[in-house]
Amino acid sequence: MIDVRDLVYEYPTTRALKGVSLHVKPQTITALVGPNGAGKTTLLRCLAALEPPYSGSVTVDGRDTREAPRAIHALLGYLPDFYGLYDALSVRRVLSYAARSRGISPALTASAVEKAAGRVSLLDRLDTKAGELSRGMRQRLAIAQAIVHEPRVLLLDEPAAGLDPQARRDLSTLLVALKDAGMTLVVSSHILAELEDYCTEMIIIEDGLIVGGNAIKVRDADRPRYMLEIATARSDLREFLAGRPGVDVIEADEYHALFTHPRNSAARARLIKAMLAAGFEVSSLGESTKALEEAYFKQVGQAR
Amino acid sequence: MNPEFERNLWLELRPGRMIVMTVVLALAFFAAALSQGFFAGPGEVARWGYFIIVVLWGARNAANSVVGEIRAHTWDGQRLSSLSAGTMMWGKLFGSTAFNWFGGAICLVVILAELVQEHGPGVAAIELVYYLAIGVIAQSAALLASLIAAGRRQARTQFEIFLYQATGLAAAVAVYVVWLIADPARSYLLHVERTDVVMWWGLACPAQPFLLLSMALFAGWMLTGCYRQMRLELKMRNGPLVWLAFLLFMGAYVAGFDVWLSGNQALTNLDAVALRLLLAGTVYGTLAYAMVFLEPKDRVRFRWLGSEFGRFHLGTVLANLQGWMMSYLAAQAVGIALIVWLGRASLLQDQAIACAMLGFLTRDMGIVVLTNARKRGGDFTALAVLFLLYALLPAIFASLHLTTGLALFTPRPTDPVWLSPLAGWAEALVVWIVAVAAIALPEERAKPAAA
Repeated sequence: MIDVRDLVYEYPTTRALKGVSLHVKPQTITALVGPNGAGKTTLLRCLAALEPPYSGSVTVDGRDTREAPRAIHALLGYLPDFYGLYDALSVRRVLSYAARSRGISPALTASAVEKAAGRVSLLDRLDTKAGELSRGMRQRLAIAQAIVHEPRVLLLDEPAAGLDPQARRDLSTLLVALKDAGMTLVVSSHILAELEDYCTEMIIIEDGLIVGGNAIKVRDADRPRYMLEIATARSDLREFLAGRPGVDVIEADEYHALFTHPRNSAARARLIKAMLAAGFEVSSLGESTKALEEAYFKQVGQAR
Repeated sequence: MNPEFERNLWLELRPGRMIVMTVVLALAFFAAALSQGFFAGPGEVARWGYFIIVVLWGARNAANSVVGEIRAHTWDGQRLSSLSAGTMMWGKLFGSTAFNWFGGAICLVVILAELVQEHGPGVAAIELVYYLAIGVIAQSAALLASLIAAGRRQARTQFEIFLYQATGLAAAVAVYVVWLIADPARSYLLHVERTDVVMWWGLACPAQPFLLLSMALFAGWMLTGCYRQMRLELKMRNGPLVWLAFLLFMGAYVAGFDVWLSGNQALTNLDAVALRLLLAGTVYGTLAYAMVFLEPKDRVRFRWLGSEFGRFHLGTVLANLQGWMMSYLAAQAVGIALIVWLGRASLLQDQAIACAMLGFLTRDMGIVVLTNARKRGGDFTALAVLFLLYALLPAIFASLHLTTGLALFTPRPTDPVWLSPLAGWAEALVVWIVAVAAIALPEERAKPAAA
């Protein structure tokens, strides 16, 4: 869906992107992670065809950002890190304007507004002025603005900044729902925990370069990552697991193993049974909740 | 309805504000009517009210219609919208100033009522066009200035908004002063010599219709400029034809005023054709200087243009020339025509000065391109270099009585006559060689991505 080749972007005094190449698959949620100042926002703005590359190319759905920026704009929803709202207008009018300005006909505007407001749980606030909303609600309204026209690609720059835990969970649910509805999402953040719940791919950007050179698959719906723990140390843990059908060991020591395995409870039960039969004292087995963090530090560690 | 216009109406035309505006203006007119000469009458109050509300305040709102969005972080959302450049431009220009036009309309009713009563409907109709034109010109000039600044990523602070507003006010003042020339009632105000005719291309044109038509044409060009600048902000491309049409218009319009120069002692050698060529060339040179500073100097674009030129894709190159490039080429073409024309009368010294002017123009374009070639924001450096070349160094040379050396910096009569053109073109050649090298040099090599 998105292809970037040798992208270089310069500000007056600094080169923010130094030859970035990446590929984002359709209907995925890709995390764009890296420290502050790494170039995440600049990259998102280049993907949104808001900034022309100094050199290199960016294509979205086969269209080049230099050649057809307006066609790309029509495909996109974009939430900048510092977003703005028309505080003096009601939520309904903010969304109506967003819908009309994104090409939705007057006849369909009301339903589009209600659908977007419903997705971010703001239906009961339609007649409240944007300036009177809480920070979390403003964030949700900004996201509703970005999705009111049902874009095919959604770029979100630090969407969870300043949200409370419940609002973050709601955001995760929303983003997964948008992905399931067919959208391709790229979400930037410098807080890994934020992205852990919903990202399927990860791109690590540091000092204007992609660490590892491409996106890393961090979550596979069919083959999730599992973390296994045994009570007594066994030096043959890795070897044993590697020999089982369907198991791909990512890393292992004498007590722990991280591996991928089909999402199938019967297959998992067979694996546990085989381990117990082989004398492994299995104390826990569960889906890894730190997939992104592990992948991040593994990549960054290799790069250094 | 235009969504941008509608959104602005939601923000601007709130009932409370409209009632306050109506009441305040009604009270002002009432007080003027009661004062019996102590204050000016309602008509004069309405005129001042119109200028303050539509021109002064309206120019600020027009400038703020883009800068305000940038400051509120809503501009990117608008740039990503599917609104056309025209829809966005009209929506902003007349939407952000809707409240000003509401107040202005109240003032206009009073002004026109007085004019109809005192001078009849004909004068009232002409004045109506004048008031509408001055409002539109002031607001569109402010919007154009803010859009140009937005394109240069320089539209952020309140002071900058004031500068864009001031641009609108300057345009309005220019219209006001020019209009006074033909106004029998008020020309004494600014001690402007009143005239009933304007000499243009040797024709005696009645002043009021000529100025009114000129105003309408310039308002049209101003709006065209806003539209094209909005296209750029929305990431659309502008072709060269509109700018070429503008150049033709400006050249033809300004060249028609040759009679203004005919009394100049320094130009007595020149006939009407030479004066017209000089005027057209000067306006093209001025536009080249203005545009080379206002337009973005994108090294990637220059490189691409160079590569297309190298492949003899001349159609592509011509279609993608920037405004300053076309203005520069027009100045060169008219300058060469002037030199040829002067050659018919053997005016060697005048030919040499014209040739030198073209050389120094070429050098100056090169300086601006060079200072922007390796970094963005090199315009201030270019201005400093030009100040050095046109003011400081000539002042030093003059104080040292090195008068021949002044030909190194400005076009001037010299002995031998070829010295000034030689200096101009030699400097131009050097500057452009360095500029092309700076553009063509490979950029800093990116670090390879970690494997």
